[in-house]
Amino acid sequence: MVVNQIPFEEFRMLIRRQGLRVAIGPFNVCIHTSYKPLIEQLYLLYSHYRIVQDEIAEFHVRIVTERSLRNPFKRNVRFLLDGQSPFESFPQEQALAALEWGINLAIAVRVNHLLLLHSAVVEKNGHVILFPAWPGSGKTTLCTVLSYHGFRLFSDEFGLMDTQRQLFLPIPRLMPLKNESIAVIRNYLPDIVMGRPIPNTQKGTVAHVRPPEKSILLSKHTCKARWIIFPKWIADTSVKIEAISDAEAFMMLASNAFNYEALGAAGFGAVANLIRSCDCFKLVYSDFDSVMEVLHQLTNET
Amino acid sequence: MKLDLPLHCQILLNGLTDPACLRRYCDSDWELLVRMARRVKLLGRLGLLVKEYGIWDQVPPRITTQMASALVQVEKLQQLNRWELNRVLWALNDLDTSIIALKGVAYTLAEIPYASGRLSIDLDLLVPQSDLADIESLLMVKGWKHRPLSAYDEHYYRVWSHEIPPLVHAERETEVDIHHTLIPLTSRLKINPELLFDTAIPVNNSTIRLLNPVDMVIHCAINLFQNNELANDLRDLLDLHDLMVFFSARTIDFWTQLIDRSNQLKLSRAVFYSLHFSQLIFKTPVPKKVPVRLHARPGRLKLWIMNRLVPLALFPQHPDKPMLSASLARLLMYLRSHLIRMPLYILVPHLAYKSVRMIRFKSRKSRS
Repeated sequence: MVVNQIPFEEFRMLIRRQGLRVAIGPFNVCIHTSYKPLIEQLYLLYSHYRIVQDEIAEFHVRIVTERSLRNPFKRNVRFLLDGQSPFESFPQEQALAALEWGINLAIAVRVNHLLLLHSAVVEKNGHVILFPAWPGSGKTTLCTVLSYHGFRLFSDEFGLMDTQRQLFLPIPRLMPLKNESIAVIRNYLPDIVMGRPIPNTQKGTVAHVRPPEKSILLSKHTCKARWIIFPKWIADTSVKIEAISDAEAFMMLASNAFNYEALGAAGFGAVANLIRSCDCFKLVYSDFDSVMEVLHQLTNET
Repeated sequence: MKLDLPLHCQILLNGLTDPACLRRYCDSDWELLVRMARRVKLLGRLGLLVKEYGIWDQVPPRITTQMASALVQVEKLQQLNRWELNRVLWALNDLDTSIIALKGVAYTLAEIPYASGRLSIDLDLLVPQSDLADIESLLMVKGWKHRPLSAYDEHYYRVWSHEIPPLVHAERETEVDIHHTLIPLTSRLKINPELLFDTAIPVNNSTIRLLNPVDMVIHCAINLFQNNELANDLRDLLDLHDLMVFFSARTIDFWTQLIDRSNQLKLSRAVFYSLHFSQLIFKTPVPKKVPVRLHARPGRLKLWIMNRLVPLALFPQHPDKPMLSASLARLLMYLRSHLIRMPLYILVPHLAYKSVRMIRFKSRKSRS
């Protein structure tokens, strides 16, 4: 059963009462909230997720509303993980952003049975491309475009790797576009479903893109990695892709992972093997058409 | 006295003490068990137990992945703690002093069972008061720093507390808590720390020392029933149970030593409660004659009240349905811990300061 197969009222009852359990990649997340604007947004943006009411959920999250102490006429929302609040409260318009950041935080701090790379991940022809983050590299924007143009979305944020089997696990979540990217993507992909832009968050204006249905449907299909590409968006440059050394790629990948250090020797071994089995590149681009041409060329060479 | 626990607490307690019952746990029991265990820092411990019982492969995969993750975290923090200890000993190598490891690191060094599953966040050390200034300045020369503190907090640590403000090395994140005694200076109870140093035990191939077994138990007991507020401290009561089971099996007159030392240090009230609740909750095999020989036993009414409040405070709240009675028990235990720790003329301004700061902090939070 998928979210869009149940009527809104039933969805609302679930999320208010026992909590809505959805499968997001390898994890089940149980979401509780009574805040109606958030429920409406989730009904639209989570519409392709599988409902798993009878399964164990690893993450239990809640968005609750509360009055601001300083201004009693204003309402805030608070994110709770297992009843604990890891963040400050947010203005109520930011409920969706708070929920999405909260779930990311929960994954980042709790999951250690997988290696968590900080990277966008897509799949093409049965192989995974990693786009590890550089600050301001625009990985989410690139990832959004690719996932609606023939690439399967794994994640715009987490490279989840089973270190023993050297496999990547898809975890397709909403993709939060920031600031200028929102209009850029609206123009480039006019048909995709996107949440309302949320202004004045810690990261500026954010709008969440719903992942493609097919990527969610196939989110149990794991793949090995074949390419590691460090992307950078620079205005008005022509697209350029060049190979980089394994050592350089290793340092950039390992130093930017969520739990590389916690995994110790297992983490080192996994990243070393990963680099050995992949071709590593740096990519500079400014427009989507030419970057996709380069990537299609690269992935079809095999 | 029979222990009467709410169902969710029962699920946690049985999971930690009765391997056979885990085979009967359904998915929702497991889910709740993991959430509760994590809340009281016992998820790694649970993982160790499940491995030891040989039922890891029969547990739902969504549960084992969480326990595996917790064990990785426990392992990592223990490694960081060991490394921090190594660095502290290196930094103080030229100083002629005596350093005693406390809590998590000490339990590992003493090879207490299940110590490898204990989530230990900070490194706790005990040093002689007379060397404290030298140790602090030497560590600061070698890269450790205090976190920024308000003037009140600075005063609190320096004048009233049994430890100095925490130190963190500039290149690392592990907090080093340096104690010069085991009870806050404001408390009516006083101990002479020299007694602890006189009987401390050396560790092979290291300059670090450990409290002797009875002092280690007493320290754990006073942390629970004298220094802390008990809320979610189930892990510490389990530490205490582990220590007593381990030492009583290895030392013939362990219980006599424990009684005599508790009476000598005038800490027998906290030790009484510890024995009582460890026995009540974890069924620690404490010989019958032991508690009655402790000098400062509580009266019947006090014990009746504590029996009702302590378990409710120690066990975690149900993550989805917090109970009012448990919140109340926690509040009362919080007040009790402060009353026995500070005289009223310090306590009242202290709680006022903390409340004001909390409200300010909350409203600052909600503004941003």
